Amino acid sequence: MTHDDGGTAALTTIVMLPLLLVVLVGVLELGALRAVAQRAGAAADLATIVAVGDQDQFELAQSGKLRLAADAADVARDYFARNLLATTPALGASANAIAAAADIASFPTAPSFDPLTGARYDRPTLRLIASIPVRTPGFAALLMPAVTTVTIQSVSSPR
Amino acid sequence: MSYWRSDDRGMATLETTLMLVILVPLLFAILEFGWLTQRWLAQDGVALQAARYAGELGGDRPELRSYIQEQLLLVGIEPGRVIVEVEPSNIAWREPVRVSLRTDELVAIPFLFTTTVAVRSTAVARGEVNQ
Repeated sequence: MTHDDGGTAALTTIVMLPLLLVVLVGVLELGALRAVAQRAGAAADLATIVAVGDQDQFELAQSGKLRLAADAADVARDYFARNLLATTPALGASANAIAAAADIASFPTAPSFDPLTGARYDRPTLRLIASIPVRTPGFAALLMPAVTTVTIQSVSSPR
Repeated sequence: MSYWRSDDRGMATLETTLMLVILVPLLFAILEFGWLTQRWLAQDGVALQAARYAGELGGDRPELRSYIQEQLLLVGIEPGRVIVEVEPSNIAWREPVRVSLRTDELVAIPFLFTTTVAVRSTAVARGEVNQ
């Protein structure tokens, strides 16, 4: 009887240990993925905030109204790449390539309508949507994709 | 019977030892790396806000240093342990400014290792002051 119990314990260990490791690796990788996605989202937020911080000076002087600078989308793309650089080791593509592929739309005057998201903006707005390929070696070890793509969105308006 | 009982005790000791050697490092690894990630994200948030503020101030100013200290304290990081770099120290309108924060965090996993991990956060914003 005691001998049998030992066998059961050994069997349980053999079955449970791989299961435990799979769950552990999955949870750790998911946590790392969330952290990188959060960091990329913060990079996008800072990029759009920086871009809307600059106004069309002529328009402001003439009418006193806020209007995004003509190069707002380019500025957002540039600063998105700069702020993604710190996360590069965890990314499946270069920061510049991710920023270049990002869908950045400028709505310099208000009100405006975003044809992609269906949102209506009551202030001049800059919208950024980017697909971030994140390296997930833990998922690859579990026969899942080695790169997981996370989509982030950021919208900013000047005050 | 006493022979088997003696064996059981041995098995129990072996199982407990294995559990301690495997599960304790595992538990501490989860706690330590979770804590490290939390610190990293919190420090990142401070770096982002500090970069924006540096853009508004026109570079590295005493107000920026005070602000970083306050924000680090708010997220539970001892400011004295953080190395702050602002490059360049003076910026003009529309010029980029980079704020970097670095903390050396101790990671200790029982039975495995104790090491120091450098937690780095960097954010780049744009000068908003026409100096």
